[in-house]
Amino acid sequence: MIAIKLAYKNLVGAGLRTWLNVSVLSFAFVLMIFYNGMIEGWNRQARNDTQDWEIGQGQYWEPSFDRYDPYTYQDAHQVISEPIIQQIKKGLLTPILLVQANMYPQGRMQSVLLKGVDPKQNILKLPTSDLRFSSNETCAIIGKRLADENKLSVGDKVLVRWRDKNGMFDAIEIKIASIFKTDVPSVENGNMYLNIEVLQKMTGMTNEASILVAGKDSKLYDITNWDFKTPDFLLTDFDAMIQSKKAGGIIMSGLLLIIALLAIFDTQVLSIFRRQKEIGTYIAMGMTRSQVVGIFTVEGGAHSILAALVGAIYGIPLFIWLNKVGIPMAANSQDAGITIADTIYPYYSLDLIISSLLLVIISATIVSYMPARKIAKLKPTEALKGKIQ
Amino acid sequence: MNIIQLNNLVKKYPVGNGEFTALNDINLNFKEGEFTGLVGPSGSGKTTLLNIIGSLDSPSYGSAIVMNKSIAELSHKEAAMLRNQHIGFIFQTYNLLPVYTVFENVEFPLLLQNKNATQRKNAVMEALEWVGLTDKIKSKPSMLSGGECQRVAIARAMVKKPQIVLADEPTANLDSKNSHHILQTMQKLNKELGVTFLFSTHDEKVMQYLNRLISLEDGKVISDTIKNA
Repeated sequence: MIAIKLAYKNLVGAGLRTWLNVSVLSFAFVLMIFYNGMIEGWNRQARNDTQDWEIGQGQYWEPSFDRYDPYTYQDAHQVISEPIIQQIKKGLLTPILLVQANMYPQGRMQSVLLKGVDPKQNILKLPTSDLRFSSNETCAIIGKRLADENKLSVGDKVLVRWRDKNGMFDAIEIKIASIFKTDVPSVENGNMYLNIEVLQKMTGMTNEASILVAGKDSKLYDITNWDFKTPDFLLTDFDAMIQSKKAGGIIMSGLLLIIALLAIFDTQVLSIFRRQKEIGTYIAMGMTRSQVVGIFTVEGGAHSILAALVGAIYGIPLFIWLNKVGIPMAANSQDAGITIADTIYPYYSLDLIISSLLLVIISATIVSYMPARKIAKLKPTEALKGKIQ
Repeated sequence: MNIIQLNNLVKKYPVGNGEFTALNDINLNFKEGEFTGLVGPSGSGKTTLLNIIGSLDSPSYGSAIVMNKSIAELSHKEAAMLRNQHIGFIFQTYNLLPVYTVFENVEFPLLLQNKNATQRKNAVMEALEWVGLTDKIKSKPSMLSGGECQRVAIARAMVKKPQIVLADEPTANLDSKNSHHILQTMQKLNKELGVTFLFSTHDEKVMQYLNRLISLEDGKVISDTIKNA
């Protein structure tokens, strides 16, 4: 109690020096929470968007399918069994057939992955209903990026060539029924969505699919001859990217924190030199050396408490405001191929705030304790004279 | 009854490759309630002797027994306990805590004794009454004169009602009027409370108040005079 009271009085008494240290430390504290909150917000939005647009509650893969190996796509398809059809009818699963192809927009050749989807599905956010009412023409929906890259608009026709089940080439002109926009680049990039029945007919793969996407109400269970992949597995790449972003954030926050802690360390060293007489007086009045070390440690550590309070004064309104309006991302940020919304809404969890607070308090206390240990070696008689030892 | 016993006390400090003898074969006893001064020029060993009695330093040879405790054998914690319970210090430069008010400065030793708030308040007000500073309880040391600061220091030393008060050149920074006031206050406390006062001084004004005068020179006692038996 004495240590806390004395620390408070000394900190207030030190005036500008205290407030400079506290300001830098509070800035580090707020920035740490802001950055991590932004990454967490991004992470949550991106995971939700990826699940909504691409992976659902998990996927069942044809056993030979490997998303990283396009050579497997040719053979990665199998007949959908009757129990699965029942699940599809109930809206618990939706099948997707994958076929590699080339398209020829304006005479150029470009690889494209034809994805056969059920126009009636509601599991993914894809606007597949646009495929429902096609006339005699073969229609497809594509993402805005693919459309922009190839200068394709709604109603345009593009020649597409593919191999059928037996490896024979075939070609057809496909009409762009609609163009959609999503935050998930992997849904758009190089993908062309067709009615699954049409694609099955085009390839001779009647009633076949490459993957099955599980919906929200789907009770996940083993399906014979299909390998289940959890959302965590399907988001491995994204999680790795978020981890690397977090590591970058830790380095940045760490550097800022180190600067703030150096200022506290410096203040503590100066304090111990300047306040030798005071230290001697404490000892003369009957304090043990460890109690005096405690006073100086608490005093240094108290910077972090003040920093948290000051940080709260400007940080809380700032975070509330940011949470309301969000942080707009650069227009071309999705072109990097990562899932990122136009506006990120930071997410500040209690865990994040408490862990940041503990990190700042503990590290400030440690750097305060380090120079304070010197007090234990001071001779009280010399300290009373104010002699630097 | 002897409250302090010094037997063949020697204190040496390392200086360069050799040693400096600050106290040389000191043999002194102090009874409870004495009002004693250690006089002598600078470097004669007065402060060193007070520091050893106050358990801030320990003898190189010989023994210093204070309140039946051998200073040389005390651990840091035991020495702190002895100072906390039984010894009050008054310094030439007052050594008040600048961020605390007068009340808080005087209250500080009682906080270390874990006294409750009521006990502390009563004791602090009583100590400030002794030194006539009850009207300055909210003042900070920077707002006080030198004489007032020293009176606060006396109140701080006396508030825990110690058996021994060690005063190192308490009037050195004060003018004549304040010096007399301070000494009269200490003399009154010595008589009323029976506290043993031990001064180091080379101030003539102090000497006229002392009951016993011990002269030191080059770390040795050269005279020990009891003025008022």
